[in-house]
Amino acid sequence: MTAAMTTPPVAQLTVRREISATAEELFDAFLDAESLGEFMRPGGPRNSDVVTDPRVGGKFEIKMHVNDSVIPHWGEYREIDRPRKLVFTWLSKNTNEQESVVTIQFHPVAGTKPRTEVVLTQVLLPDAQVKGHIGGWTRIVELLDEQYGTRDNNDSSKAS
Amino acid sequence: MGEYNSAQLDAVFGAVSDATRRAILAQLATGSARVTDVASAFPISLNSVSKHVRMLERAGLVERTILGRDHVLSLNADAMKAADEWMTYYRKFWTDRLDALDKMIQRKRRLATKKEKKS
Repeated sequence: MTAAMTTPPVAQLTVRREISATAEELFDAFLDAESLGEFMRPGGPRNSDVVTDPRVGGKFEIKMHVNDSVIPHWGEYREIDRPRKLVFTWLSKNTNEQESVVTIQFHPVAGTKPRTEVVLTQVLLPDAQVKGHIGGWTRIVELLDEQYGTRDNNDSSKAS
Repeated sequence: MGEYNSAQLDAVFGAVSDATRRAILAQLATGSARVTDVASAFPISLNSVSKHVRMLERAGLVERTILGRDHVLSLNADAMKAADEWMTYYRKFWTDRLDALDKMIQRKRRLATKKEKKS
């Protein structure tokens, strides 16, 4: 999807985490339906129902069970570069089905034990009718972020 | 979760489609300013700056407060809420998912170690 490369995003966020595991283990967990069902489970005892077709252009679907309802999430693989980089589109009933692109990078951390930094970036793309007209938006969002502060860590008690 | 409104996002996009209006927003993001102060930062007439400001006001991005003879402009943070809520929602979503991934991997590793010891 070349539009994703050239169109400035509407909004974007990055989450980082170091995990004691090899890049391969973590990379594979993101493509394996059973693993995904386990960690892509936002709450409750029931694993998500996952179908994956892990090849470029292949689709995935993750049905999350939240309370008594099923919330579908889906997307398509754009880049599969094991074990360094994984890119897929992400859409969800929860967020008005707006298309976003998730890029996950796996950076091995030097040391005696296997450790990997996972860097996940998600960008929200503008709707088709405004594509190509919103350059500079990211900078505005950044300025706002500086002024009002980020909220990634201080509202983690809020249920999703 | 944070509900966000795609219609509001669209309205905002229209307003920020122009470089001058984005520059005005960027200026106001650093603090409120009088219309005349905003205008002096641009090589265009006060009249055309006023037109851009009115468009931003209509989109709900900028608010005007009249203090005596001064018209003070400030950014309306609520209008940015749609993008902001989306980011807040997904920051928490992915932070929680990576946390769950970490726990799952560590549990699998412990199980593998136990199996090794048994055999």
